[in-house]
Amino acid sequence: MSFLDTMLGRRRESSSHVAKERLLTVLVHDRVKLTPEDLENMKREIIDVISRYVEVTDPGSIEVTLTRGDQSDHLKADIPLRRSR
Amino acid sequence: MARVITITSGKGGVGKTTTTANLGTALAMLGQRVVVIDADIGLRNLDVVMGLENRIVYDLVDAVEGRCRLRQALIKDKRFPELFLLPAAQTRDKDAVSPEDMIALTNELRREFDFILIDSPAGIEGGFRNAIASADEVLIVTTPEVSAVRDADRIVGLVEAYEKGHPRLIINRLKPRMVARGDMMDTSDVVEILAIDLIGIVPEDETIVISTNRGEVAVLERNSLAGRSFSDIARRLLGEDVPMLVFEERQGVWGSLIGRLRARRSER
Repeated sequence: MSFLDTMLGRRRESSSHVAKERLLTVLVHDRVKLTPEDLENMKREIIDVISRYVEVTDPGSIEVTLTRGDQSDHLKADIPLRRSR
Repeated sequence: MARVITITSGKGGVGKTTTTANLGTALAMLGQRVVVIDADIGLRNLDVVMGLENRIVYDLVDAVEGRCRLRQALIKDKRFPELFLLPAAQTRDKDAVSPEDMIALTNELRREFDFILIDSPAGIEGGFRNAIASADEVLIVTTPEVSAVRDADRIVGLVEAYEKGHPRLIINRLKPRMVARGDMMDTSDVVEILAIDLIGIVPEDETIVISTNRGEVAVLERNSLAGRSFSDIARRLLGEDVPMLVFEERQGVWGSLIGRLRARRSER
C-alpha cells in the first residue's frame, strides 16, 4: 500500500493474505486430482441425472465448482431450473 | 544403523542443496557420522556448495555401475573426518540409476554411519523417485511463496503415497521485514496450509551466499542466523527440544540503516 493510499484512508488487503487465499483455492483443485476433462464429463452426467427428474433451463448455465470449507472441501453444483406453474 | 533422510521440495531453487550441506555439517559437528548424497544426477551441485569439487574422482553412478567400490566414491570433508559426500555424476542423466540401486547403495552405507542425507533433485519424476526410494524420513523445504508452497503440497501427497510417513517442513528464506508489513506469508500461514509438522525456520541471510561463494557452509559461521537455524534443525533431528528462533528487525535508526536481523528464542 502506498503512502498516499494510507493518507486517503484507502485500505487494501495485504498481499500475504491474498497469497494465502489464492493458494488455498488452488490447492482444493490440486488435491482432488480431477482433470478438466473429468470435471466436464461429471458435469454432463450430473445434468443427465437431474434432467430425468426436473426440467433444467439451460445445460450451459450449470456451474460446478470446488470450494474450501472448514472441515472439508465441497463440490458445488448450481443448476437453474425452469420455472413452471 | 543410519537414518536415511531425504531433503526435497518439488520446486527448484528453494534451498534443498544448501539445507543438505548445512544439516550434514551441523550433524557432523554434533559428533555424528554422516554421508550426504547428491541425487541430482546430471546437475551436480552439492560438491561446490561444500567446497569439495576438486576432490571428486568417482561418483554415485560409478559406484552403482561397479567401476569403483562405494567407499572409493565417498569424499571426505575438509574439516570433519566423519562427514562424507557421495557426489552425483555430471555427465549422465537420472535414468542411469534406479530406485532399487539407491536402496542397495544406502543399505550398504547404513551400517557405517548415523545419518545419510539425500539431496533430491527438483521435480516429481524419476530423480525424485530415486531420491525418496530409500528414505526413512523426509524433510520438505519451501519458501513462503505461492509457487513453492503449492509444489510442496504436491510433494506431501506423494511422500504419503510412497508410504514414507509424515514429512517435516523447513521454511527457508523467510523475510521477517516483509512478513511484518503483510507482504509475505508468515510461518503459521504456511504450516496451516500444508498441515505438516514444522522442524525449522531459516531466515533469508546474505551469509549463505557469501559462505557458498567460498565453498564453506553457514553453520560454521558464528554470526550467521541461517547457520544457527540449520544447527537448531540438526539438534531437533537428534531429538533435542530446541525452541524456534523468532526473528525481528533491529529497532531504531541503526537498525533500519544496517537492516540487520536479530533472533530470540520463542517462549513456551
